[in-house]
Formats: sequence, structure tokens, C-alpha cells
Amino acid sequence: MPPTHQRLFYREAIVRALRETMADDPRVFVMGQDVGAFGGAYREFDGLFAAFGPARVRDTPVAEAAMIGIGVGAAAAGLRPVVSITYMDFLMLGLDPLVNYAAKLSYKTGGQLHAPIVIKTTAGAKGQGVAHSQCIESWLMGVPGLKLVCPSNPADAYGLMVAALEDPGPVIFVDHKKLFPVPGDVPVARYRTPIGTAKIIRAGSDITIATYSYMTRVAHQAADLLINEGISCEVIDLRSLIPLDAALVAQSVARTKNLLTLEEGQVTCGVGSEVAAQVQRRLGPVRVHRVGALPAPVSSNPVLEAACIPNAQRLVDEIKFFINATNPECLHP
Amino acid sequence: MIYKLSVPAIAEDIEEFRVLEWHGGIGTPFNTGDMVVELETHKAIIEMRAGQAGILRVISVPDGAWCKIGVPLGLCSDSLDETLPEQTEATADMLVEFEIA
Repeated sequence: MPPTHQRLFYREAIVRALRETMADDPRVFVMGQDVGAFGGAYREFDGLFAAFGPARVRDTPVAEAAMIGIGVGAAAAGLRPVVSITYMDFLMLGLDPLVNYAAKLSYKTGGQLHAPIVIKTTAGAKGQGVAHSQCIESWLMGVPGLKLVCPSNPADAYGLMVAALEDPGPVIFVDHKKLFPVPGDVPVARYRTPIGTAKIIRAGSDITIATYSYMTRVAHQAADLLINEGISCEVIDLRSLIPLDAALVAQSVARTKNLLTLEEGQVTCGVGSEVAAQVQRRLGPVRVHRVGALPAPVSSNPVLEAACIPNAQRLVDEIKFFINATNPECLHP
Repeated sequence: MIYKLSVPAIAEDIEEFRVLEWHGGIGTPFNTGDMVVELETHKAIIEMRAGQAGILRVISVPDGAWCKIGVPLGLCSDSLDETLPEQTEATADMLVEFEIA
């Protein structure tokens, strides 16, 4: 029997989804910095230029506003662009066409036009300093019309990229620098992971950790350490932030009675704030504790970077504090 | 003497890699500087070259298979008549060099 799964690097899962979809759908094309013969900053576009040529795999200058503006226009005109923004920090330059045009196009035209664009971008801290490390997913969560996915492993990266490429859009696909070295098993048959579905990736009974992207790994590490302390952690991979699967988180919290949100970005108006609000709307008052980066820029100094970003030991300390605290948010500003 | 072919942490963030291609089969002799096996990480193709002469005796991780950092890829020996051990833990590491292709 042929194998049902193949082991792939995260970048290979992304490029497989693109290669298969581009072969099926001539409207799909890729544009971005170094996506052509170079194959992408993380080699996540490897082989596409050779397979589909320069008309469908287009190198651009360092001009994010123009890249997203052109992509959104091409989408409105009937193509299906994938725009690669190498560092999520520079998505900021393209927010006008993304937020003011792409996200509102279907609404504004009474459903006559859509903007089926996928913006693929990379977030997260990995030694690159204040303007190449940020996780700004939560900034986009208040924009009606957008979707945002943030897969934590190769299987979800493939399934969510396929779903994004088939979606009426616009979809922001956010990966993470530290996920690229991690391989995983991916089904050989084509599939899509529905946008807006979270997943319980570790069953537990004492606390629910709602997290996503690279922080799922930190949550697993902390959960492993806490077994010895007699604390059983359930870990939920949100996978999609817009729409947010708060129903699954609420089901879990109804059992564990404790919700801890974990993100690499800022906690103020962060992903965790929204998760907590939506869970409380379903369940009434629940115990909540938010963990994220300290309120400081992410330094290129490795000591300061590590101090800013949540790691397993800090998460262990936060969870022990939270489980034992009578009123966590009041005690721990 | 029997040696194991080990891959240390080639870069800080690599946990697992793919064996792309062995350059020679069981019994192939090699000299210092010869390419023994090509490895693929998330970033690059890495050539594993012999740092001493020897003979390839065991391939534990074949072409296309995955290997975690620290797990031996195979065994080598100075001469063909040396008996292979049942355990690989006790054997010494063969001298190797890594080059990014």
C-alpha cells in the first residue's frame, strides 16, 4: 500500500499547497521579494519559479505598499494573487489597500466583487531585532472582512494554505520563523483545513491554554514540566484568529474552569483579550490569565529578546501562580 | 576500530534533517575529504565529508529517511575484516566535516 503520509518541512508543506493549486488554477500567482529563482527567504517557494515561470512567480522590489496594492487590484480583476510579505512588521505598509479596499470590497460592491488574495507573512522573534520580530495578528482582528490563519505545524500549514487559496478572501497566512526548522507528517491526499476551526492538541483537566503558532510548542514544553507538579494542561491550537473558534475554547474551559491565553505578541488588546471576552460571553465569569510578551520592543540582544518573549519556564511560573491565585488579574498586573 | 557517523547540532535550531543521498554503499572505502552523505535541513543541503580514511559498513538511515540530531547515521571501520558491534553507543565518533553545498 502506498504511504498515507509524508514527512515534510514546514516550508515544503507551504510550497506543496501552492504547487498543487497553481497547477489546477491558472489564476493563482505569487509575488514578493526573492520568491522567484531564489525560492523565498525560507525556501518556502522553492521550485515554483522553475515550474511556472516568471509570469506566475514574480519578484518585486522592497515595496510592500505597492505589492499589496497591486495584489488587491489583481484580485479584484479576477486573479488569485499570493503576496509574500517576508516580515510581518512590514505588513504595516500595505494596510491601506488591505483594510480600506480588500477587506471591504465585497461589502462595498454588494457582493459583485471579491478580493481573493492571500497574504503570506512571517512573524516572530528570532534574533532580528525591533522591526523584524513582531507578532501583530491582533491588530487585524477588528477588521471586518479579513480572515487570518496561523498554522503551528506542516499539516495545518498545508491544509490552511489550500483553504486560503480557495477562499473568496482576503486571507492573511501568518507563519513563524521558529517553525521552519520543524518537520511534520502531512497526509499525501489533498485536503483543506477549514478556516475558523481550533483544535485540542493536548488533553488535560486543570487548565486550558489557548494559544497558536510557535507558542503551541512552548505550551507543550510547559505542560510537560507541570506533569511533575500534578497540574494537567489542556492545550488548544487556535489555528485561525479570524474567525476565532471561541466555542471550542469555551467547551474546554467549562471543564477545566481555568483559561490561560498565551501569545508571543502584546497582551494589551491582544489575541488573549478577545479569546477571554468571547469565552466569558458564552460561560459567564471565568478565571482568566493572559500571558504574552512584556510591554517592550523585541531587542536584537539575545538576552533581552529572551526576557521579552514567553518561554516554557515563565509559562510554568505563570500557570502555578494562576492556579493558586484567588484573583489572578488583580494580584499580577 | 569501529566508528559511528554522528551529526551534531549543525545549527542551533535544527532538530531533524533528511538524508538526501549516500555517496557509496556498504563496503565503500573513502579518504579524508570524500563526501560520505548529503543531508538536507530546512535551509540548506549539507555535505558530510570524511575527516579520516575508512570504510562504510552500516547505513542506519537510508536515502530519503529522516534523522534526529544525535542519532548515528551509520557505522564505519578502519578495515573490512573488523567485526561490527551490536550496540552503537560505545563506538567512537568518526571525524567528519560539514560543508554547506
